[in-house]
Amino acid sequence: MRRWLLALLIAAALEIAPARAHAEPFQLRADAFVYSQGSGAPTGYVALSGEDKLTPWADTEAVLWAGNGATADALVFLVRLHHPKNWGELRIGRQIISAGAVRPIHIDGADGRVRLPTGTSVEVFGGVPVQPQFQYGAWDWVAGGRAAQALGRSTTIGVSYLQQRDDGALAYEEVGMDFASAPTRWFDVASHAAYDLIDPGLSEARVSLAGRFGPLRPEVFALHRSPSRLLPATSLFSALGDMASDSAGLTLLWKMFPRLDVLPILAARTQDGDAGIDATLRTTLRFDDRGRGAITVDLRRQGSGLDPWSGVRLAVRLPITQRWQASTELELVVPDDNDPNPAVRALQRARGTVWPWALTSVSWSPVQHWQVAGAVEAASTPTSNFEVNALMRLSATWGGGT
Amino acid sequence: MKRLLRSWFVLVGALALALVLGNCARVLGIKPPDVKPFPHTAHLDKGINCRECHGGIANSSNADGTMHIPGTDTCVRCHKKPHDTHDCSNCHGLGYVREAVQADVANLKFDHRSHVQREHGQCVRCHRGILDNSDHVRPTMAVCLSCHEHQDDFAMRTCDRCHKNIRDEHVMPSSHVVHEGDWLREHGDRAASERDLCSTCHAERFCAGCHGVTVPALPEKQAFDDPLRIGVHRAGFMSRHPLEAKTQPGMCTTCHTPDSCENCHTKNSVSPVSGAKSPHPPGWLGLRGEPNDHGRAAWQDPTECASCHSGAGEKLCVGCHKVGGMGGNPHKPGWTSNKRPMFDQPCRQCHGGG
Repeated sequence: MRRWLLALLIAAALEIAPARAHAEPFQLRADAFVYSQGSGAPTGYVALSGEDKLTPWADTEAVLWAGNGATADALVFLVRLHHPKNWGELRIGRQIISAGAVRPIHIDGADGRVRLPTGTSVEVFGGVPVQPQFQYGAWDWVAGGRAAQALGRSTTIGVSYLQQRDDGALAYEEVGMDFASAPTRWFDVASHAAYDLIDPGLSEARVSLAGRFGPLRPEVFALHRSPSRLLPATSLFSALGDMASDSAGLTLLWKMFPRLDVLPILAARTQDGDAGIDATLRTTLRFDDRGRGAITVDLRRQGSGLDPWSGVRLAVRLPITQRWQASTELELVVPDDNDPNPAVRALQRARGTVWPWALTSVSWSPVQHWQVAGAVEAASTPTSNFEVNALMRLSATWGGGT
Repeated sequence: MKRLLRSWFVLVGALALALVLGNCARVLGIKPPDVKPFPHTAHLDKGINCRECHGGIANSSNADGTMHIPGTDTCVRCHKKPHDTHDCSNCHGLGYVREAVQADVANLKFDHRSHVQREHGQCVRCHRGILDNSDHVRPTMAVCLSCHEHQDDFAMRTCDRCHKNIRDEHVMPSSHVVHEGDWLREHGDRAASERDLCSTCHAERFCAGCHGVTVPALPEKQAFDDPLRIGVHRAGFMSRHPLEAKTQPGMCTTCHTPDSCENCHTKNSVSPVSGAKSPHPPGWLGLRGEPNDHGRAAWQDPTECASCHSGAGEKLCVGCHKVGGMGGNPHKPGWTSNKRPMFDQPCRQCHGGG
């Protein structure tokens, strides 16, 4: 039954697409992607997507993909109807719901929103949480909503609610509050917090304050996350309780020269009395004013948590001609092996002391709207001393998209 | 002789330094590029009105679909002796600027006629980049908003009063919702309050590409030829993922279901479930008085336990930790729940008495 339903969806998309692809507002994109792995047979997928804006009050979108038959599925299958002046909209189908502070969720269902010129916005959604291969439980459903109010020209405050049941049992029930404001051109703040109603407590809270001062963009952020409350309440591990992790940090984007950006990120994280520092230094140099070619270097140190590590990543994108582009990416990860327990240390060393990874690719656009890309990926991983993959992608668009 | 040699060394050194600095300046974008934008100011200084070259712009409407970029025939009206017979635009002006202008005609609803009349032909009031000989000829949206009040349109997310199809423009906002800094982490904070603002530019598949349950391959994996594209699972993530998961407890669960780790490990034959060896270090599980680290680890990141021991694997915990069992109370001190211990899952596994 499920395979028939999927076949019907794909057939419908293929049937509609070519006929309407000639109409300018309609777009279709197809990607074929194949990779080989040393240990497995080649596999791949095809993705199709389209938008229909022939009518000003409706548009559609679909992304379907096919693997080796057993893994074919739909990512998005959506019809959106909306008031010409956007006073309201209704989205029906497979979609991502992200309503304020409550967790984003992939559903098969409907999402309705009413917007008023007073700045009031009310959104209600409901449906079935998406399961791969349409393997829904008997009483799986999710419902919720968000009400928001704009305060003045630059501030929005909202409250949201979500309830999800898996096989009829309460899996998630949370309320959230979100706040965003950009009172000046050089300062903005965004924050949200979600509260678990089943095992009462703060499941996640985040705040980010950013400023803009010429070439500098400093940002201060803080994050609180309670892992057990992110699990479905039907899981035994949600009933343990947890030691929430808290982190706070600073990023500073410095556009040092017209083509050179430097971004240090520094964060301190604590959990259960253990504290550590995470630091990243990212440098990006563009080879031309438009940034078609660029090189970026990331230096990372993850000092917090139970498994600290350090790493460096280098990425280069180099346009050779208008139609040809080459790129390469290298990464070295060095996990710490200084655990006080010698047995743990031996286990850590057994997985390798350095994990290198590299990828080199070439892409070619023989004609407009067509592109072929190929790459070779090589790595030494904790589970394999050496592995090589070949990757290939063929992309095409029709109907005005790029 | 020595003095002469020293002078030569100094001279050569200075030249080399100048060469390096000059190239650095070019690489860093400080030195103007060799290919320059069209010298608009030179023409303005001669008292030439924009409309003398951009003929017909004053009567141009959005429907005619042209920007009246002057051709060679227009140039030679004044420059009567050109260096050669080729098109002037081959060397003068920048090709990508002309392409951007044509893209604007295709993507924006704009009527030059009414603007030229209202501004009495003073084009530079909007095209401010002309005065700097910049390649940024197109006015920014902030310039539009300096006259036009679009606050209501912005609040209602009706961009189509000016943008024909904003998703096709493939432009990044430069004056609002600027995507910079550590945007991968920040985007969730910004999108929480204004998801509908995001969707004015981004199609549904953009969010679903990462947050969807049925994702065939992440966007950064599909676009493997663009290593500068940001993504959570960038580069050698397959090797790094156990480290990343331990650094940020619960982070994986914001997108993945608890059993996705086990599913993937089983599929790729690296699952500890199918092997004979326990992945846990010595001292992980012990009787009272013996090393027993698993309890604290579970409180630190219960999602990691759930990634292997969810579903039927929960019985492993229940065996010791059920009410009256030798494992003791597994709840963290101070933990409360609204679930009914005798009836609701998962409580009844330990409290149900069966």
